[in-house]
Amino acid sequence: MKPTEQQRIFEEWLGLHRGLLFKVVRAYAFNSHDQDDLFQEITTQLWNSVPRYRGDSAITTWVYRVALYSAIGWSRKEHRHHENHQSIIADDRLLLQKPSAANPQLEWLYEQIAQFDEIDRSLTLLMLDGFSYREIGDTMGISQNYVGVKLNRIKKRLTEQCTKEHNHGI
Amino acid sequence: MEFEDLQVIWNSQHDEPLYGVNEDGLHNTLRNKSKQFRRVIFWQHFQTFCSCTIAITVITGLFLLSVFGVLGNIGSSRALYGWELAALLVALICWLQFGLSVYLGNRQQKNREKHETTSLRDDLDKEINRTKYQINTRAQIMQGFVPPYLGSTLFVITVFGISGISYWAIVPVVIVMITALIVESRCQRRFVKQEITPRLRELETLREKLTTAPCPESNSPDGNDIH
Repeated sequence: MKPTEQQRIFEEWLGLHRGLLFKVVRAYAFNSHDQDDLFQEITTQLWNSVPRYRGDSAITTWVYRVALYSAIGWSRKEHRHHENHQSIIADDRLLLQKPSAANPQLEWLYEQIAQFDEIDRSLTLLMLDGFSYREIGDTMGISQNYVGVKLNRIKKRLTEQCTKEHNHGI
Repeated sequence: MEFEDLQVIWNSQHDEPLYGVNEDGLHNTLRNKSKQFRRVIFWQHFQTFCSCTIAITVITGLFLLSVFGVLGNIGSSRALYGWELAALLVALICWLQFGLSVYLGNRQQKNREKHETTSLRDDLDKEINRTKYQINTRAQIMQGFVPPYLGSTLFVITVFGISGISYWAIVPVVIVMITALIVESRCQRRFVKQEITPRLRELETLREKLTTAPCPESNSPDGNDIH
């Protein structure tokens, strides 16, 4: 694949699915530096994945899978090298959080998602974004029944937690 | 509070993007990373290619010069003895074997990379296989580097012979080579133990988390499409 073609497809994907990438970034990284770092990692992996895409799955599913896998891999690396990632110059940031987008209820929901392990976090994002059990199963490589069992627990846990914490304004 | 209410909260972020993206910064980062990656790969291949080409050319040249009787007529050098010709031949085979094994290994790895994965589990399996391959390759580095080291030693012995240098002079050269091989092998093993094996364990744990079903508290999912 020619680099110009790769660039065109990448920009198209980024334009259409950046919201999805933001969600993954926010669910897996918890401060602005880490979010920036993870966004960089995800976009790099997405760029590298362009020539491998054969069109067997929907682009959204592909982008989600690349983003989730990058985030899971990044979490492991970030965990190990956490102390090395302290300094960053504000001007070099790739992601700029919009103050207008601050929403306490959403913040709370992301906090709850952050408490799950890496795999359950992926399942939760896919579920909240409306993917069917079959699509989630295909994306994750697990059976629909297993997806069902897992998501049932996640839903139960989220609603219980939400009921407990009225003071968050939900 | 129902799950549907949480869904409404989740969907609220679709109205307003969470972040703005520094597009120029992103493109620069991607360009730099891509360049850096290509440069590393190029230098790795270039080093192996150069060392193999130089070794094979020099050994073949010396062999041919001797076979065609040119060597005995140059300065004070003498023609090679039969066993020296045999040693050069073995050295040549050793270097050819090394070059070929590196080339085939790289090609196999490239083919593995091309294999398209269809799920996160596939991605994990692929990464686990790649990590295991790295462990095996590094663990066997001693065996992998024996042919070029042996080839170089045989070549040096031959050169010493035709230059009239005592064969005993090869002893310190061999000692240095063996020491270098042992040190390299130990470094690789330490790297495997401290870096790659923990990575493999983490990957296997993740895979386990993904594939090991939780105790079925309730087996009837209440949503979506499987009823």
